[in-house]
Amino acid sequence: MTSNGDDAVKVVPVRHYGRWVGAFVVVILIAMVVHTIFSKVGTGVNICSTINGIRHCHQPQRWRFYWNIVFHFFTTSEVINGLYLTLALTALAMTFGILLGVILAVMRRSQNRLLSSTAWTYTWFFRGTPVLVQLFFWFEIQALYSSITLGLPFLPVTFVHLNLIAILNPFRAAALALGLNEAAYMSEIARAGLLAVDEGQIEAATSIGMTRGQSLRLVVLPQAMRVIIPPTGNEVISMLKTSSLASAVAVTELFGATSNISAANFQVMPLLIVASLWYLIVTTVLSIGQFYLERHYAKGALRNPPPTPIQRLRDDLKGIASKYRTKRGLQTAVSS
Amino acid sequence: MTTPMVEAIGVRKSYVGIEVLKGVDLTVTRGEVTCLIGPSGSGKSTLLRCINHLEKHDAGELRVDGELVGYEARNGKLYELSDKKICGERAQIGMVFQRFNLFQHLNAIDNITVGQIQVKGVKEADAVAKARELLARVGLEGKEEHYPAQLSGGQQQRVAIARALAMDPKLMLFDEPTSALDPELVGEVLDVMKDLARSGMTMIVVTHEMNFAKEVANTVYFLDQGVIEESGDPKVVLTSPSSARLQSFLSKVL
Repeated sequence: MTSNGDDAVKVVPVRHYGRWVGAFVVVILIAMVVHTIFSKVGTGVNICSTINGIRHCHQPQRWRFYWNIVFHFFTTSEVINGLYLTLALTALAMTFGILLGVILAVMRRSQNRLLSSTAWTYTWFFRGTPVLVQLFFWFEIQALYSSITLGLPFLPVTFVHLNLIAILNPFRAAALALGLNEAAYMSEIARAGLLAVDEGQIEAATSIGMTRGQSLRLVVLPQAMRVIIPPTGNEVISMLKTSSLASAVAVTELFGATSNISAANFQVMPLLIVASLWYLIVTTVLSIGQFYLERHYAKGALRNPPPTPIQRLRDDLKGIASKYRTKRGLQTAVSS
Repeated sequence: MTTPMVEAIGVRKSYVGIEVLKGVDLTVTRGEVTCLIGPSGSGKSTLLRCINHLEKHDAGELRVDGELVGYEARNGKLYELSDKKICGERAQIGMVFQRFNLFQHLNAIDNITVGQIQVKGVKEADAVAKARELLARVGLEGKEEHYPAQLSGGQQQRVAIARALAMDPKLMLFDEPTSALDPELVGEVLDVMKDLARSGMTMIVVTHEMNFAKEVANTVYFLDQGVIEESGDPKVVLTSPSSARLQSFLSKVL
Protein backbone atom coordinates (compact mmCIF):
# COMPACT_ATOMS: atom_id res chain seq x y z
CA MET A 1 0.00 0.00 0.00
CA THR A 2 1.40 3.39 -0.91
CA SER A 3 0.40 6.64 0.67
CA ASN A 4 1.26 8.85 -2.29
CA GLY A 5 1.39 8.61 -6.04
CA ASP A 6 -1.44 8.18 -8.52
CA ASP A 7 -2.84 4.97 -7.08
CA ALA A 8 -2.78 6.31 -3.49
CA VAL A 9 -5.33 4.76 -1.17
CA LYS A 10 -7.70 7.36 0.26
CA VAL A 11 -7.33 7.49 4.05
CA VAL A 12 -10.50 8.33 5.97
CA PRO A 13 -9.68 9.84 9.39
CA VAL A 14 -11.69 8.71 12.43
CA ARG A 15 -14.76 10.92 12.94
CA HIS A 16 -14.96 12.28 16.50
CA TYR A 17 -18.71 12.97 16.70
CA GLY A 18 -18.66 13.45 20.48
CA ARG A 19 -15.99 16.13 20.22
CA TRP A 20 -17.92 17.95 17.52
CA VAL A 21 -21.05 18.07 19.65
CA GLY A 22 -18.99 19.28 22.63
CA ALA A 23 -17.31 21.97 20.54
CA PHE A 24 -20.68 23.12 19.22
CA VAL A 25 -22.10 23.44 22.74
CA VAL A 26 -19.03 25.39 23.87
CA VAL A 27 -19.26 27.75 20.88
CA ILE A 28 -22.90 28.49 21.76
CA LEU A 29 -22.00 29.13 25.41
CA ILE A 30 -19.10 31.44 24.50
CA ALA A 31 -21.38 33.38 22.16
CA MET A 32 -23.94 33.78 24.96
CA VAL A 33 -21.29 35.06 27.41
CA VAL A 34 -19.80 37.53 24.93
CA HIS A 35 -23.28 38.72 23.98
CA THR A 36 -24.36 39.35 27.56
CA ILE A 37 -21.11 41.11 28.47
CA PHE A 38 -21.57 43.58 25.64
CA SER A 39 -25.36 43.87 25.83
CA LYS A 40 -27.45 46.84 26.81
CA VAL A 41 -30.39 46.95 29.19
CA GLY A 42 -33.10 49.42 29.93
CA THR A 43 -32.53 51.87 32.76
CA GLY A 44 -36.04 51.28 34.16
CA VAL A 45 -36.89 54.96 33.80
CA ASN A 46 -39.52 55.91 31.25
CA ILE A 47 -39.11 59.23 29.55
CA CYS A 48 -42.37 60.37 28.01
CA SER A 49 -43.35 63.33 25.90
CA THR A 50 -46.51 64.37 24.11
CA ILE A 51 -46.09 65.38 20.52
CA ASN A 52 -49.17 66.46 18.53
CA GLY A 53 -51.40 65.02 21.27
CA ILE A 54 -49.79 61.57 21.06
CA ARG A 55 -47.87 60.37 24.05
CA HIS A 56 -44.47 58.85 23.24
CA CYS A 57 -42.50 56.92 25.86
CA HIS A 58 -39.05 55.42 25.68
CA GLN A 59 -36.59 53.91 28.07
CA PRO A 60 -32.93 55.00 27.72
CA GLN A 61 -30.49 52.10 27.37
CA ARG A 62 -27.21 51.54 29.16
CA TRP A 63 -24.39 48.98 28.99
CA ARG A 64 -25.21 46.04 31.26
CA PHE A 65 -21.56 46.05 32.47
CA TYR A 66 -21.36 49.86 32.70
CA TRP A 67 -18.52 49.95 30.11
CA ASN A 68 -18.74 53.71 29.79
CA ILE A 69 -18.16 54.18 33.54
CA VAL A 70 -15.44 51.50 33.55
CA PHE A 71 -13.72 53.30 30.69
CA HIS A 72 -14.08 56.63 32.45
CA PHE A 73 -12.36 55.47 35.67
CA PHE A 74 -9.87 53.08 34.05
CA THR A 75 -7.06 55.63 33.81
CA THR A 76 -7.93 58.18 36.48
CA SER A 77 -4.95 59.25 38.57
CA GLU A 78 -6.38 57.59 41.69
CA VAL A 79 -6.56 54.21 39.95
CA ILE A 80 -3.12 54.58 38.34
CA ASN A 81 -1.57 55.54 41.70
CA GLY A 82 -3.26 52.50 43.21
CA LEU A 83 -1.85 50.31 40.45
CA TYR A 84 1.59 51.76 41.10
CA LEU A 85 1.30 50.95 44.83
CA THR A 86 0.14 47.41 44.02
CA LEU A 87 3.16 46.84 41.76
CA ALA A 88 5.50 48.35 44.36
CA LEU A 89 4.04 46.20 47.15
CA THR A 90 4.32 43.06 45.02
CA ALA A 91 7.90 43.81 43.96
CA LEU A 92 9.06 44.69 47.49
CA ALA A 93 7.34 41.76 49.19
CA MET A 94 8.54 39.25 46.59
CA THR A 95 12.15 40.50 46.58
CA PHE A 96 12.26 40.31 50.34
CA GLY A 97 10.41 36.98 50.38
CA ILE A 98 12.70 35.35 47.80
CA LEU A 99 15.93 36.51 49.47
CA LEU A 100 14.83 35.48 52.96
CA GLY A 101 13.27 32.30 51.58
CA VAL A 102 16.51 31.15 49.93
CA ILE A 103 18.45 31.95 53.11
CA LEU A 104 15.93 29.93 55.14
CA ALA A 105 16.16 27.01 52.68
CA VAL A 106 19.96 26.98 52.93
CA MET A 107 19.65 27.18 56.74
CA ARG A 108 17.30 24.18 56.69
CA ARG A 109 20.07 22.17 54.99
CA SER A 110 22.71 23.26 57.48
CA GLN A 111 24.41 20.59 59.56
CA ASN A 112 24.05 22.95 62.52
CA ARG A 113 20.86 21.85 64.32
CA LEU A 114 20.17 25.35 65.73
CA LEU A 115 20.17 26.90 62.23
CA SER A 116 17.98 24.21 60.70
CA SER A 117 15.44 24.20 63.53
CA THR A 118 15.25 28.01 63.52
CA ALA A 119 14.38 27.93 59.83
CA TRP A 120 11.79 25.22 60.47
CA THR A 121 10.20 27.25 63.30
CA TYR A 122 10.04 30.36 61.12
CA THR A 123 8.13 28.49 58.41
CA TRP A 124 5.89 26.88 61.02
CA PHE A 125 4.94 30.25 62.50
CA PHE A 126 4.41 32.29 59.34
CA ARG A 127 2.57 29.54 57.48
CA GLY A 128 0.48 28.81 60.54
CA THR A 129 -1.18 32.21 60.88
CA PRO A 130 -3.39 33.98 58.29
CA VAL A 131 -1.69 36.66 56.25
CA LEU A 132 -4.49 39.14 57.03
CA VAL A 133 -3.82 38.70 60.75
CA GLN A 134 -0.11 39.23 60.13
CA LEU A 135 -0.88 42.41 58.18
CA PHE A 136 -2.81 43.84 61.12
CA PHE A 137 -0.07 42.67 63.48
CA TRP A 138 2.65 44.68 61.72
CA PHE A 139 0.27 47.60 61.24
CA GLU A 140 -0.34 47.69 65.00
CA ILE A 141 3.20 46.76 66.07
CA GLN A 142 3.67 50.21 67.63
CA ALA A 143 1.33 49.03 70.37
CA LEU A 144 4.09 46.63 71.44
CA TYR A 145 7.20 48.57 70.47
CA SER A 146 7.31 52.28 69.86
CA SER A 147 10.97 51.93 68.98
CA ILE A 148 13.53 49.16 68.52
CA THR A 149 17.04 49.30 69.90
CA LEU A 150 19.58 46.74 68.77
CA GLY A 151 22.44 46.10 71.15
CA LEU A 152 24.03 43.32 73.16
CA PRO A 153 21.74 41.71 75.73
CA PHE A 154 22.40 42.77 79.34
CA LEU A 155 25.14 45.16 78.22
CA PRO A 156 25.02 48.93 77.68
CA VAL A 157 25.97 48.60 73.99
CA THR A 158 23.71 50.02 71.25
CA PHE A 159 24.15 49.49 67.53
CA VAL A 160 20.92 50.81 66.01
CA HIS A 161 17.96 52.75 67.29
CA LEU A 162 14.76 52.73 65.18
CA ASN A 163 11.69 54.80 65.81
CA LEU A 164 8.94 52.44 64.64
CA ILE A 165 6.14 55.01 64.72
CA ALA A 166 8.02 57.17 62.25
CA ILE A 167 9.37 54.35 60.08
CA LEU A 168 6.44 51.95 59.78
CA ASN A 169 3.85 53.80 57.73
CA PRO A 170 0.98 51.59 56.48
CA PHE A 171 2.69 50.88 53.15
CA ARG A 172 5.96 49.77 54.73
CA ALA A 173 4.14 47.72 57.37
CA ALA A 174 2.17 45.97 54.62
CA ALA A 175 5.30 45.32 52.52
CA LEU A 176 7.05 43.91 55.58
CA ALA A 177 4.11 41.70 56.54
CA LEU A 178 3.63 40.34 53.02
CA GLY A 179 7.39 39.78 52.59
CA LEU A 180 7.82 37.95 55.89
CA ASN A 181 4.82 35.77 55.11
CA GLU A 182 6.05 35.08 51.58
CA ALA A 183 9.50 34.03 52.85
CA ALA A 184 7.91 31.07 54.61
CA TYR A 185 6.41 29.80 51.36
CA MET A 186 9.47 30.69 49.27
CA SER A 187 11.73 28.74 51.65
CA GLU A 188 9.75 25.57 50.93
CA ILE A 189 9.94 26.24 47.18
CA ALA A 190 13.68 26.91 47.33
CA ARG A 191 14.20 23.83 49.49
CA ALA A 192 12.43 21.65 46.92
CA GLY A 193 14.68 23.15 44.25
CA LEU A 194 17.85 22.44 46.22
CA LEU A 195 16.70 18.87 46.89
CA ALA A 196 16.07 18.33 43.18
CA VAL A 197 19.77 18.79 42.35
CA ASP A 198 21.58 15.46 42.20
CA GLU A 199 23.99 14.71 45.05
CA GLY A 200 26.61 13.82 42.41
CA GLN A 201 26.73 17.47 41.30
CA ILE A 202 27.85 18.53 44.77
CA GLU A 203 30.40 15.71 44.90
CA ALA A 204 31.83 16.73 41.53
CA ALA A 205 32.04 20.37 42.65
CA THR A 206 33.73 19.26 45.87
CA SER A 207 36.17 17.03 44.00
CA ILE A 208 37.56 19.95 41.98
CA GLY A 209 38.20 21.83 45.20
CA MET A 210 35.14 24.07 45.49
CA THR A 211 34.11 25.15 48.97
CA ARG A 212 30.54 24.51 50.16
CA GLY A 213 29.68 28.13 49.38
CA GLN A 214 31.13 27.94 45.86
CA SER A 215 29.34 24.70 45.03
CA LEU A 216 26.07 26.18 46.30
CA ARG A 217 26.49 29.40 44.31
CA LEU A 218 28.01 28.03 41.10
CA VAL A 219 26.55 24.54 40.80
CA VAL A 220 23.52 23.90 43.02
CA LEU A 221 21.54 27.16 42.89
CA PRO A 222 21.71 27.66 39.09
CA GLN A 223 20.34 24.15 38.61
CA ALA A 224 17.78 24.54 41.39
CA MET A 225 16.47 27.65 39.60
CA ARG A 226 14.85 25.46 36.93
CA VAL A 227 12.70 23.87 39.62
CA ILE A 228 12.25 27.08 41.62
CA ILE A 229 11.14 29.43 38.80
CA PRO A 230 7.69 28.01 37.89
CA PRO A 231 6.24 27.96 41.43
CA THR A 232 7.92 31.33 42.12
CA GLY A 233 6.10 32.76 39.10
CA ASN A 234 2.91 31.48 40.67
CA GLU A 235 3.84 33.17 43.92
CA VAL A 236 4.43 36.52 42.18
CA ILE A 237 1.02 36.34 40.52
CA SER A 238 -0.54 35.24 43.78
CA MET A 239 1.20 38.10 45.64
CA LEU A 240 -0.11 40.62 43.11
CA LYS A 241 -3.61 39.69 44.23
CA THR A 242 -2.84 39.05 47.92
CA SER A 243 -1.50 42.62 48.10
CA SER A 244 -5.13 43.76 47.82
CA LEU A 245 -5.45 42.73 51.49
CA ALA A 246 -3.29 45.76 52.30
CA SER A 247 -6.39 47.89 51.61
CA ALA A 248 -7.58 46.64 55.00
CA VAL A 249 -4.73 48.51 56.70
CA ALA A 250 -5.35 51.79 54.88
CA VAL A 251 -2.99 51.30 51.93
CA THR A 252 -4.69 52.73 48.84
CA GLU A 253 -3.32 50.19 46.40
CA LEU A 254 -5.38 49.24 43.34
CA PHE A 255 -8.27 47.61 45.18
CA GLY A 256 -8.18 50.19 47.98
CA ALA A 257 -8.27 53.02 45.45
CA THR A 258 -11.22 51.59 43.50
CA SER A 259 -13.04 50.88 46.79
CA ASN A 260 -12.54 54.47 47.85
CA ILE A 261 -13.97 55.76 44.58
CA SER A 262 -17.02 53.49 44.74
CA ALA A 263 -17.61 54.40 48.39
CA ALA A 264 -18.05 57.98 47.19
CA ASN A 265 -20.07 57.43 44.01
CA PHE A 266 -21.79 54.06 44.75
CA GLN A 267 -20.65 52.64 41.39
CA VAL A 268 -19.45 49.42 43.05
CA MET A 269 -19.66 47.07 40.04
CA PRO A 270 -17.91 49.28 37.47
CA LEU A 271 -15.01 49.90 39.82
CA LEU A 272 -14.68 46.22 40.68
CA ILE A 273 -14.41 45.64 36.93
CA VAL A 274 -11.74 48.37 36.67
CA ALA A 275 -9.68 46.64 39.38
CA SER A 276 -10.20 43.18 37.85
CA LEU A 277 -9.13 44.32 34.39
CA TRP A 278 -5.95 45.87 35.72
CA TYR A 279 -5.11 42.71 37.71
CA LEU A 280 -5.69 40.64 34.56
CA ILE A 281 -3.44 42.87 32.46
CA VAL A 282 -0.56 42.73 34.94
CA THR A 283 -0.96 38.97 35.40
CA THR A 284 -0.76 38.48 31.64
CA VAL A 285 2.45 40.50 31.39
CA LEU A 286 3.95 38.56 34.32
CA SER A 287 3.04 35.21 32.73
CA ILE A 288 4.86 36.16 29.55
CA GLY A 289 7.92 37.14 31.58
CA GLN A 290 7.76 33.83 33.43
CA PHE A 291 7.76 31.87 30.16
CA TYR A 292 11.00 33.46 28.97
CA LEU A 293 12.64 33.12 32.39
CA GLU A 294 11.80 29.41 32.51
CA ARG A 295 13.20 29.00 29.02
CA HIS A 296 16.44 30.67 30.08
CA TYR A 297 16.96 28.39 33.08
CA ALA A 298 16.00 25.24 31.15
CA LYS A 299 19.33 25.68 29.35
CA GLY A 300 21.22 22.40 29.36
CA ALA A 301 18.31 20.45 30.82
CA LEU A 302 16.51 19.98 27.52
CA ARG A 303 18.01 18.95 24.21
CA ASN A 304 15.58 21.22 22.36
CA PRO A 305 14.04 24.10 24.31
CA PRO A 306 10.35 24.64 23.51
CA PRO A 307 9.70 27.31 20.85
CA THR A 308 8.55 30.74 21.95
CA PRO A 309 4.97 31.63 20.95
CA ILE A 310 6.37 33.91 18.24
CA GLN A 311 8.57 31.12 16.87
CA ARG A 312 5.61 28.74 16.99
CA LEU A 313 3.43 31.23 15.08
CA ARG A 314 6.17 31.65 12.47
CA ASP A 315 6.51 27.86 12.10
CA ASP A 316 2.73 27.50 11.79
CA LEU A 317 2.61 30.13 9.06
CA LYS A 318 5.53 28.47 7.27
CA GLY A 319 3.73 25.12 7.54
CA ILE A 320 0.53 26.53 6.03
CA ALA A 321 2.50 28.27 3.29
CA SER A 322 4.39 25.14 2.33
CA LYS A 323 1.19 23.07 2.40
CA TYR A 324 -0.42 25.60 0.08
CA ARG A 325 2.62 25.53 -2.16
CA THR A 326 2.72 21.73 -2.41
CA LYS A 327 -0.98 21.63 -3.13
CA ARG A 328 -0.51 24.09 -5.97
CA GLY A 329 2.57 22.18 -7.09
CA LEU A 330 0.56 18.94 -7.20
CA GLN A 331 -2.23 20.63 -9.17
CA THR A 332 0.16 22.00 -11.73
CA ALA A 333 1.80 18.59 -11.94
CA VAL A 334 -1.58 16.96 -12.52
CA SER A 335 -2.72 19.54 -15.08
CA SER A 336 0.49 19.49 -17.07
CA MET B 1 63.70 6.63 47.86
CA THR B 2 60.98 9.15 46.99
CA THR B 3 57.80 9.23 49.03
CA PRO B 4 54.95 7.31 47.41
CA MET B 5 52.02 9.32 45.99
CA VAL B 6 49.51 7.53 48.20
CA GLU B 7 50.24 5.53 51.30
CA ALA B 8 47.56 3.88 53.43
CA ILE B 9 48.34 2.04 56.65
CA GLY B 10 45.54 0.24 58.48
CA VAL B 11 42.79 2.55 57.13
CA ARG B 12 39.36 1.86 58.62
CA LYS B 13 35.95 3.31 57.84
CA SER B 14 32.47 2.50 59.16
CA TYR B 15 29.01 3.66 58.14
CA VAL B 16 26.47 3.49 60.97
CA GLY B 17 27.86 0.35 62.51
CA ILE B 18 28.90 -1.42 59.32
CA GLU B 19 32.66 -1.55 58.88
CA VAL B 20 33.40 -1.06 55.19
CA LEU B 21 37.19 -0.83 55.40
CA LYS B 22 38.82 -3.09 57.98
CA GLY B 23 42.41 -1.96 57.98
CA VAL B 24 43.63 -1.43 54.42
CA ASP B 25 47.29 -1.08 53.50
CA LEU B 26 48.11 0.31 50.08
CA THR B 27 51.02 2.05 48.39
CA VAL B 28 50.81 3.89 45.09
CA THR B 29 54.10 4.82 43.48
CA ARG B 30 54.40 8.05 41.48
CA GLY B 31 53.68 7.74 37.79
CA GLU B 32 52.13 4.33 38.15
CA VAL B 33 48.65 3.00 37.50
CA THR B 34 46.96 1.10 40.30
CA CYS B 35 43.74 -0.83 39.77
CA LEU B 36 41.36 -1.72 42.59
CA ILE B 37 39.18 -4.69 41.81
CA GLY B 38 36.69 -6.68 43.84
CA PRO B 39 33.02 -7.49 44.23
CA SER B 40 30.55 -4.67 44.89
CA GLY B 41 30.42 -3.68 48.55
CA SER B 42 34.04 -4.68 49.05
CA GLY B 43 35.06 -1.10 49.89
CA LYS B 44 36.87 -0.11 46.67
CA SER B 45 34.91 3.09 46.11
CA THR B 46 35.01 4.00 49.80
CA LEU B 47 38.80 3.73 49.80
CA LEU B 48 38.95 5.97 46.73
CA ARG B 49 36.63 8.54 48.35
CA CYS B 50 38.74 8.52 51.53
CA ILE B 51 41.83 9.41 49.48
CA ASN B 52 40.37 12.78 48.41
CA HIS B 53 38.51 13.17 51.70
CA LEU B 54 35.00 12.96 50.26
CA GLU B 55 34.65 10.51 53.16
CA LYS B 56 36.47 10.82 56.47
CA HIS B 57 38.35 7.68 57.48
CA ASP B 58 37.94 6.66 61.12
CA ALA B 59 41.31 5.17 61.90
CA GLY B 60 44.69 4.43 60.38
CA GLU B 61 47.09 6.62 58.48
CA LEU B 62 46.40 7.94 55.02
CA ARG B 63 48.94 10.09 53.23
CA VAL B 64 48.85 11.72 49.82
CA ASP B 65 52.17 13.07 48.55
CA GLY B 66 53.60 12.60 52.05
CA GLU B 67 50.89 14.75 53.70
CA LEU B 68 48.18 13.37 55.98
CA VAL B 69 44.73 13.56 54.39
CA GLY B 70 42.40 15.87 56.32
CA TYR B 71 44.69 16.27 59.35
CA GLU B 72 47.87 17.96 60.38
CA ALA B 73 50.28 16.40 62.87
CA ARG B 74 51.71 18.92 65.33
CA ASN B 75 53.22 18.33 68.78
CA GLY B 76 52.13 14.72 68.76
CA LYS B 77 48.48 15.66 68.17
CA LEU B 78 46.29 15.45 65.07
CA TYR B 79 44.56 18.70 64.15
CA GLU B 80 41.61 18.54 61.78
CA LEU B 81 42.24 20.77 58.76
CA SER B 82 39.98 23.72 58.01
CA ASP B 83 37.50 23.33 55.15
CA LYS B 84 39.53 25.70 53.04
CA LYS B 85 42.73 23.65 53.39
CA ILE B 86 40.87 20.44 52.63
CA CYS B 87 39.47 22.09 49.47
CA GLY B 88 43.01 23.07 48.52
CA GLU B 89 44.12 19.44 48.90
CA ARG B 90 41.18 18.16 46.87
CA ALA B 91 41.88 20.59 44.04
CA GLN B 92 45.15 18.70 43.44
CA ILE B 93 43.41 15.33 43.15
CA GLY B 94 41.24 14.74 40.09
CA MET B 95 38.22 12.48 40.37
CA VAL B 96 36.12 10.84 37.68
CA PHE B 97 32.77 9.41 38.70
CA GLN B 98 30.77 6.42 37.54
CA ARG B 99 27.82 8.66 36.62
CA PHE B 100 30.00 11.45 35.07
CA ASN B 101 28.42 14.19 37.24
CA LEU B 102 29.04 16.89 34.67
CA PHE B 103 27.50 20.23 35.65
CA GLN B 104 24.22 20.01 33.77
CA HIS B 105 23.69 23.76 33.39
CA LEU B 106 27.09 24.42 31.82
CA ASN B 107 28.36 23.52 28.35
CA ALA B 108 31.51 21.44 27.83
CA ILE B 109 33.88 24.42 27.87
CA ASP B 110 32.32 25.97 30.98
CA ASN B 111 32.40 22.60 32.78
CA ILE B 112 36.17 22.56 32.27
CA THR B 113 36.83 26.24 33.01
CA VAL B 114 34.68 26.78 36.13
CA GLY B 115 37.15 25.05 38.48
CA GLN B 116 40.18 26.73 36.96
CA ILE B 117 38.63 30.21 37.21
CA GLN B 118 36.84 29.91 40.57
CA VAL B 119 39.20 27.62 42.51
CA LYS B 120 42.63 28.29 41.00
CA GLY B 121 42.02 31.89 39.95
CA VAL B 122 43.15 31.33 36.35
CA LYS B 123 42.28 34.13 33.89
CA GLU B 124 39.23 33.32 31.78
CA ALA B 125 41.03 33.49 28.42
CA ASP B 126 43.76 31.13 29.66
CA ALA B 127 41.18 28.75 31.14
CA VAL B 128 39.25 28.62 27.87
CA ALA B 129 42.43 28.00 25.86
CA LYS B 130 43.33 25.15 28.18
CA ALA B 131 39.80 23.74 28.02
CA ARG B 132 39.92 23.68 24.20
CA GLU B 133 43.28 21.97 24.30
CA LEU B 134 42.01 19.33 26.75
CA LEU B 135 38.83 18.73 24.74
CA ALA B 136 41.01 18.12 21.68
CA ARG B 137 43.15 15.76 23.72
CA VAL B 138 40.13 13.63 24.68
CA GLY B 139 38.95 13.69 21.07
CA LEU B 140 36.03 16.08 21.48
CA GLU B 141 36.90 18.96 19.16
CA GLY B 142 33.74 20.68 17.96
CA LYS B 143 31.74 19.74 21.06
CA GLU B 144 32.79 22.86 23.00
CA GLU B 145 29.32 24.43 23.10
CA HIS B 146 27.41 21.20 23.77
CA TYR B 147 25.57 20.73 27.03
CA PRO B 148 25.93 17.38 28.88
CA ALA B 149 22.39 16.36 27.85
CA GLN B 150 23.46 16.68 24.21
CA LEU B 151 26.44 14.31 24.59
CA SER B 152 26.59 10.52 24.70
CA GLY B 153 27.71 8.78 27.89
CA GLY B 154 31.19 8.17 26.51
CA GLN B 155 31.54 11.79 25.43
CA GLN B 156 30.31 13.02 28.82
CA GLN B 157 32.85 10.86 30.62
CA ARG B 158 35.65 12.21 28.42
CA VAL B 159 34.56 15.79 29.23
CA ALA B 160 34.59 14.76 32.91
CA ILE B 161 38.18 13.52 32.53
CA ALA B 162 39.11 16.81 30.84
CA ARG B 163 37.43 18.71 33.70
CA ALA B 164 39.57 16.86 36.25
CA LEU B 165 42.75 17.30 34.20
CA ALA B 166 42.16 21.06 33.92
CA MET B 167 43.05 21.39 37.61
CA ASP B 168 46.58 20.01 36.89
CA PRO B 169 46.13 17.17 39.38
CA LYS B 170 49.08 15.20 40.70
CA LEU B 171 46.84 12.18 41.12
CA MET B 172 43.74 10.98 39.26
CA LEU B 173 41.06 8.81 40.84
CA PHE B 174 38.61 6.89 38.65
CA ASP B 175 35.51 5.41 40.31
CA GLU B 176 34.23 2.74 37.90
CA PRO B 177 34.50 5.18 34.97
CA THR B 178 33.02 2.79 32.39
CA SER B 179 30.34 1.00 34.42
CA ALA B 180 27.50 3.29 33.34
CA LEU B 181 28.40 3.16 29.65
CA ASP B 182 26.99 1.16 26.76
CA PRO B 183 29.50 -1.56 25.84
CA GLU B 184 30.36 0.08 22.52
CA LEU B 185 31.31 3.35 24.28
CA VAL B 186 33.63 1.78 26.87
CA GLY B 187 36.55 1.66 24.43
CA GLU B 188 36.71 5.41 23.76
CA VAL B 189 36.96 6.19 27.48
CA LEU B 190 39.54 3.48 28.15
CA ASP B 191 41.63 4.79 25.23
CA VAL B 192 41.74 8.24 26.84
CA MET B 193 42.76 6.65 30.15
CA LYS B 194 45.49 4.57 28.50
CA ASP B 195 46.83 7.68 26.84
CA LEU B 196 46.82 9.43 30.20
CA ALA B 197 48.68 6.51 31.82
CA ARG B 198 51.34 6.65 29.09
CA SER B 199 51.85 10.36 29.79
CA GLY B 200 53.02 9.43 33.29
CA MET B 201 49.94 10.40 35.35
CA THR B 202 49.57 8.66 38.70
CA MET B 203 46.20 6.92 38.58
CA ILE B 204 44.05 4.83 40.89
CA VAL B 205 41.28 3.09 38.99
CA VAL B 206 38.38 1.19 40.50
CA THR B 207 37.26 -1.02 37.65
CA HIS B 208 35.66 -4.21 36.45
CA GLU B 209 37.58 -4.06 33.15
CA MET B 210 40.06 -6.88 33.77
CA ASN B 211 41.68 -6.47 30.36
CA PHE B 212 42.37 -2.81 31.09
CA ALA B 213 43.89 -3.77 34.45
CA LYS B 214 46.05 -6.44 32.83
CA GLU B 215 47.22 -4.15 30.05
CA VAL B 216 47.73 -0.82 31.81
CA ALA B 217 48.08 -1.32 35.58
CA ASN B 218 51.44 -1.58 37.30
CA THR B 219 49.83 -2.96 40.44
CA VAL B 220 46.44 -4.45 41.12
CA TYR B 221 44.74 -4.75 44.51
CA PHE B 222 41.90 -7.20 45.09
CA LEU B 223 39.57 -6.05 47.88
CA ASP B 224 37.04 -8.31 49.52
CA GLN B 225 34.85 -7.43 52.50
CA GLY B 226 36.97 -4.45 53.50
CA VAL B 227 40.40 -6.10 53.39
CA ILE B 228 43.00 -6.51 50.68
CA GLU B 229 43.03 -10.20 49.82
CA GLU B 230 45.73 -10.12 47.23
CA SER B 231 47.91 -7.60 45.41
CA GLY B 232 50.80 -7.39 42.99
CA ASP B 233 51.68 -7.45 39.30
CA PRO B 234 48.40 -7.79 37.38
CA LYS B 235 49.89 -10.31 34.95
CA VAL B 236 50.61 -12.60 37.90
CA VAL B 237 47.65 -11.79 40.14
CA LEU B 238 45.00 -11.94 37.41
CA THR B 239 46.31 -15.00 35.59
CA SER B 240 47.34 -17.22 38.50
CA PRO B 241 45.55 -15.98 41.65
CA SER B 242 46.62 -17.63 44.86
CA SER B 243 43.55 -16.91 47.07
CA ALA B 244 40.36 -18.89 46.64
CA ARG B 245 38.25 -15.69 46.80
CA LEU B 246 40.07 -14.07 43.87
CA GLN B 247 39.88 -17.32 41.91
CA SER B 248 36.10 -17.45 42.26
CA PHE B 249 35.75 -13.68 41.59
CA LEU B 250 37.78 -13.89 38.38
CA SER B 251 35.87 -16.95 37.20
CA LYS B 252 32.69 -14.84 37.40
CA VAL B 253 33.92 -11.66 35.73
CA LEU B 254 36.26 -12.96 33.02
